[in-house]
Amino acid sequence: MKLLTKTNLNFLTISLFIFMFGVAAFYYLLRSQVNQNINYELEKRKNSIIQQFDSSYPSNKEPVNPNEQIIVTPYYSGSSSALSFSDTILYDNETQRYIPYRKLGFVTNFNNQDYYVQIFKSLEETDMLIARIFLITTVLIILMIVILLFLNRITSRSVWNAFYETIDKLNKYDINSQSDLNLNQTEVKEFDDLNRVLIKMTNKIKEDYINLKEYTENSSHELQNPLAIINAKMELLLQSGNLTEKQYQAVVASYEASNRLSRLNKTLLLLAKIENRQFPESENIDPQVKIDFQLEYFEDLVTSKKINVKKEYNNPAPIKMNPFLSEILFSNLIKNAIRHNFEGGDLNIVFEDDVLTISNTGPKLRIEPESIFRRFNKSSNSPDSLGLGLAIVKKICDIYGFTPEYSFENGYHKFRISFKSA
Amino acid sequence: MKILIVEDEKTLSDSIVEYLEIEGGHLCEAVYNYDNAVEKIELYEYDCIVVDINLPDGSGLDIIRLIKNKSKTMGIIIISGRDSIEDRIEGLEIGADNYLTKPFHLAELNAHLRSINRRINFNGNNKIVFNEIEIIPDEHRAFVHNKELKLTRKEFEVLLFFISNKNKVITKIGLAEHLWGDFMDASDSFDFIYTHIKNLRKKLLKEGCKDYIQTVYGVGYKFHVP
Repeated sequence: MKLLTKTNLNFLTISLFIFMFGVAAFYYLLRSQVNQNINYELEKRKNSIIQQFDSSYPSNKEPVNPNEQIIVTPYYSGSSSALSFSDTILYDNETQRYIPYRKLGFVTNFNNQDYYVQIFKSLEETDMLIARIFLITTVLIILMIVILLFLNRITSRSVWNAFYETIDKLNKYDINSQSDLNLNQTEVKEFDDLNRVLIKMTNKIKEDYINLKEYTENSSHELQNPLAIINAKMELLLQSGNLTEKQYQAVVASYEASNRLSRLNKTLLLLAKIENRQFPESENIDPQVKIDFQLEYFEDLVTSKKINVKKEYNNPAPIKMNPFLSEILFSNLIKNAIRHNFEGGDLNIVFEDDVLTISNTGPKLRIEPESIFRRFNKSSNSPDSLGLGLAIVKKICDIYGFTPEYSFENGYHKFRISFKSA
Repeated sequence: MKILIVEDEKTLSDSIVEYLEIEGGHLCEAVYNYDNAVEKIELYEYDCIVVDINLPDGSGLDIIRLIKNKSKTMGIIIISGRDSIEDRIEGLEIGADNYLTKPFHLAELNAHLRSINRRINFNGNNKIVFNEIEIIPDEHRAFVHNKELKLTRKEFEVLLFFISNKNKVITKIGLAEHLWGDFMDASDSFDFIYTHIKNLRKKLLKEGCKDYIQTVYGVGYKFHVP
């Protein structure tokens, strides 16, 4: 949910509650005010009626309003008539309907006889008035809430603008780029604080990142030198003809190990570079050209293992990626499919639209299929392989948003890569 | 051939010199820093220079630029611990003949030097004549007793590599990396290195060539010249 929607929703819920309670309270207050008013009038009439009763009757002093009903009945003590204000309804003959009245009942004495007097005041007009006032205020309040909501939205938007700008800039920020994160001064202290913290954080991250990059580069260089020396010395040692068989074997074993070490170093560095996204350039790659090139490169391997290669290109879409990484990607996939194949096995390459499927025969995996893309997860029938080929494939797919999948069906290892970037 | 080796790792430099001098015919000089390298280049003439990029007091790339201003023909081989494409491209763009990433095989370096030697001293059109074998590198053709051999590309490359490294033990890994580069894992290629060499040997022997190629058990091969 967006921040603006969230605050507006909160505002709306709260104002709705306040509005409901407020309207109810307003209604009862209004009602009681009006009742008080009517009570006061009825009281005044009661006094005048009592005066009329007291003085000679009929009196000319204050004629009784014919509209204002009065009911006088003899009163006997013990009868349970209400002696106070109450609401009631009476049938009106003229309009033929019930009309609400406010009633005051009291007892007065005339000629030594107690009379129970009920006087009434119609509530019709006041009720109408209350309804009108109520309607008008309700409409006004709703109008006010809507206007407030609208104004709130506008002001919030302008206030939060700086925040959205920061988010936008963070989104576009690339740690590989030369420029630092550039956030503008805002008018809000909190946002300025946030921006300051973000700038500090990204600068620190960038510094660490550069240090790490330098470290990998340095370690590469520094490791290659001693490795070069070891290899050169071993090669020289092999040239001297006076080694015994055993010594030869020892030198060869060490030589092979140091070669393996240097290959491992190079591959891990490549992985780190891919992870660090140090291959930013990209161009449109024709997969068919690249795959054919790799197959030619591995021709010896294919022939020596007598592998049947079948290719099928079905209007392959160009892939936008770094050319060097595309070579590594296809090379690793094809090498993998050849290496873990049987002698005389099959290798099928199908490229349809933007999906590449490479399937090959081969011994069943001894590791979980899910972990096939993990580093150093290798089957033991190729002791010299580094177990990094598919990890590199995964890494390359990760940075471009391609999805690699592995499955084992009917004796075929199937690698499927969708080049539709997610 | 007169070769200047600019490499700050003295041990590595010594190994290169030692390897190149086994066969003879080369005159190697070694310097270990930028200043001495510049001094040597100013004072003497060399056929080829083997230069490391990262030197304690300067960049090997600057040395190459200096050389290019002075002489167009000098062969240049970069040996560097840096393996990035940018470094490689920059090195080759300013005029290096080869770019070898450390660690490299001495046999590989030697083969490149031989090729540079042919380019400089014989304009590249020379034939390599060794006893009954004759090779025209640029045309990828080889002859034994003046009869042309029908060699595959890989077989030809193996033969050329052997001739460039006569009397030296060539490891299987070194040969594999020469033929296929870094992409191929060495162990995969051992089987078909064996096949290629078996076929090459058969073809050579068929035309009456002496059996120069020896198997050094467990290690590799040797082009043995008595």
